[in-house]
Amino acid sequence: MPSTDTVHRELCHALFDALEQGDVAGVERCYAPDMTMWFNVTGAEITKDENLAAITKGVDLHRRRTYDDRTISTFDDGFVARYTLGVVLHDGSRRSLCACLVGEVHDGRIVRLWEYLDAGKFSQEVGS
Amino acid sequence: MTEGEIRELCEAFFDAYENRRVDVLDRLYADDCIVWHNVFGRETSRDENLERFHDSYRGQRRRTYDDRTVNTFHDGFVIQYSLNGVQTSGHRGSLWICIVGRCRDGRITRIDEYMDSSKFGAWAGTSEVTS
Repeated sequence: MPSTDTVHRELCHALFDALEQGDVAGVERCYAPDMTMWFNVTGAEITKDENLAAITKGVDLHRRRTYDDRTISTFDDGFVARYTLGVVLHDGSRRSLCACLVGEVHDGRIVRLWEYLDAGKFSQEVGS
Repeated sequence: MTEGEIRELCEAFFDAYENRRVDVLDRLYADDCIVWHNVFGRETSRDENLERFHDSYRGQRRRTYDDRTVNTFHDGFVIQYSLNGVQTSGHRGSLWICIVGRCRDGRITRIDEYMDSSKFGAWAGTSEVTS
């Protein structure tokens, strides 16, 4: 039986891999039914369905999106991932943004996410 | 370090920041501690951080590190908190911040700090919240 550390680490990678590939069903498989997400830029908490809708809407926003330099640490009921979001825009230009994601995990699925990034860099770095 | 020791180190670090105890911070930073901020995108040394501590408080009457949610792992912690400040003008502002810390032998060896610089104006009372 894999350790809690392994389970949480694999879940975190599965989430980022699915986000990278625009695999919304894959993202949903990582989430518990009552999952919520909080974002430091808006200060608002959104539901799983709102989060999945935003991901679906964002799939075509860029040519490619990668979650690089993942540094993951796990604890009893979750993980923290520091990463670099790399984006290739439709005009071929590249942008990157450093972000941090904290996840709470129950029974192998994510019940809550908190995302922290610098929106001051968002327009010039990610082009959104 | 045990989970309890890491948690106590984390709390002591933020208490010291709150109470402007540079002498305590000096003890809690490892000699080779590095601090990285997502806003500036670069690493600074412990000495640079200690030297700039009082400048970082300029224009502020009080600062508290509230709503601390701390989780620990084998060599560090992640803390999510609200930084609440009162400026000398009386303006009150708040920032949501997340810090990942690495620890060794009772001291902090690395800090990675994540916040949103677009909130700085509202924090300082020089502009309204834009997002």
